[in-house]
Amino acid sequence: MTTTSETAAEAPRKTLETAVRMEAVNKWYGAFQALKNVDLEVRSGERIVVCGPSGSGKSTLIRCINQLEAIQSGRIFVDGIELTAGGKNVDAIRREVGMVFQQFNLFPHMTVLENCTLAPMKVRGETRDAAEATARKYLARVHIPEQADKYPAQLSGGQQQRVAIARALCMNPKIMLFDEPTSALDPEMVKEVLDTMIDLADGGMTMLVVTHEMGFARRVADRVIFMDRGEIVEMAPPDRFFDDPQHERTRTFLGQIA
Amino acid sequence: MIRTFGWNEFLFILMAIRWTIALSAIAFIGGGIGGLAIALARTSGDKVVRQATAGFIRVFQGTPLLLQLFLVYFGMAVVGAAINPWIAAALALTLHASAFLGEIWRGCIEAVPLGQNEAATALGLKWASRQRWIILPQAARIAVAPTVGFLVQLIKGTSLAAIIGFTELTRAGQIINNATFEPFTVFSIVAGLYFVLCWPLSLLARQAEIRFARASAR
Repeated sequence: MTTTSETAAEAPRKTLETAVRMEAVNKWYGAFQALKNVDLEVRSGERIVVCGPSGSGKSTLIRCINQLEAIQSGRIFVDGIELTAGGKNVDAIRREVGMVFQQFNLFPHMTVLENCTLAPMKVRGETRDAAEATARKYLARVHIPEQADKYPAQLSGGQQQRVAIARALCMNPKIMLFDEPTSALDPEMVKEVLDTMIDLADGGMTMLVVTHEMGFARRVADRVIFMDRGEIVEMAPPDRFFDDPQHERTRTFLGQIA
Repeated sequence: MIRTFGWNEFLFILMAIRWTIALSAIAFIGGGIGGLAIALARTSGDKVVRQATAGFIRVFQGTPLLLQLFLVYFGMAVVGAAINPWIAAALALTLHASAFLGEIWRGCIEAVPLGQNEAATALGLKWASRQRWIILPQAARIAVAPTVGFLVQLIKGTSLAAIIGFTELTRAGQIINNATFEPFTVFSIVAGLYFVLCWPLSLLARQAEIRFARASAR
């Protein structure tokens, strides 16, 4: 190994740059309003944890950022690019935003290495050699370099989710979205995935994480958001969020999951 | 004068099997291309495209193949084209196969979990890349058994082309029967030849099904 950034000084935790800005975002599924006038600003390098009861709109919120869900009104800016309602800049934005899903969503017909190299080759036009070198670097970073030639079905859930994280990182995203990344895992595998995410956070990645892992939120988050019925009810740094929540609904929710 | 059924008569019928195979192959290849287009259209995000292709499928699923052959055959005369049983049979069977394969493959594409498309989308892959690298390879595995099953139907369906004067296996049987008046012998042989053609495919389909069941149970 050459001298990489692993031992280098910790990346600056945050800058004043805006990574994501949402202005008065509304989203309906038919008559059901999933997001109600949501405003949110995420600075570059910031780690946001989103929690809330199921159906509260927390997954929808992060899925709007890379346009897996279209919004009906409002504006979303990602890395300074406006995501118009028509979705014109969506390709540019998806190249900047990585996503990790609850169900991993690895491509079952491809090896781990192929999972990681497909998008860099097809979207960024990288050569196979370059893409494989990048993939092996990130597979090493998530501690499974030896699994590169296996198929997803041969791996444990925790390993699969770490591959999914590596796959997203191979596109060199500026922002990472996590949609309940540990909810489908057996309990003994939650830690290895959370540790990988903590490592990523320590490296300065901008992260929006939908999760019920409150230990992770306390340890990593800069701000914790509580959503209910499509609204951001409370947003605060973790200490205040957990120890002194301002809203009754937040207190009720925290009481339920504790 | 009545001919007796002999070796030459049998050979005449046997040789006609190549036209059955050729017509089946044309319809299957044409239907494969058309069916893929229809399956992709049926699963596209565009509502108009989806509904137009749904209409096409409904028409061909809701009418007998024989009438589809008639309509194409006589329709060619209406639009002023020369009536040609080859072209009419190939066209009608291709349209027929397109509709059915389109519907079969639509189901296979929709059986690929939604998360696959979302993950590929989130990675920045565009529609064509998502289909080519993620969706279709997974759908193809599911599609093998029902596709071979439909191919068997299609081969048997080509026998209807005899009615518009296309000389394939069945028509060759009719011709020999008209000369020998030994319908039971003649049509037993014709049926036997269809069986020889179709049975191995049925076995293949069943094997593919077992293999798929085993693979997805893993």
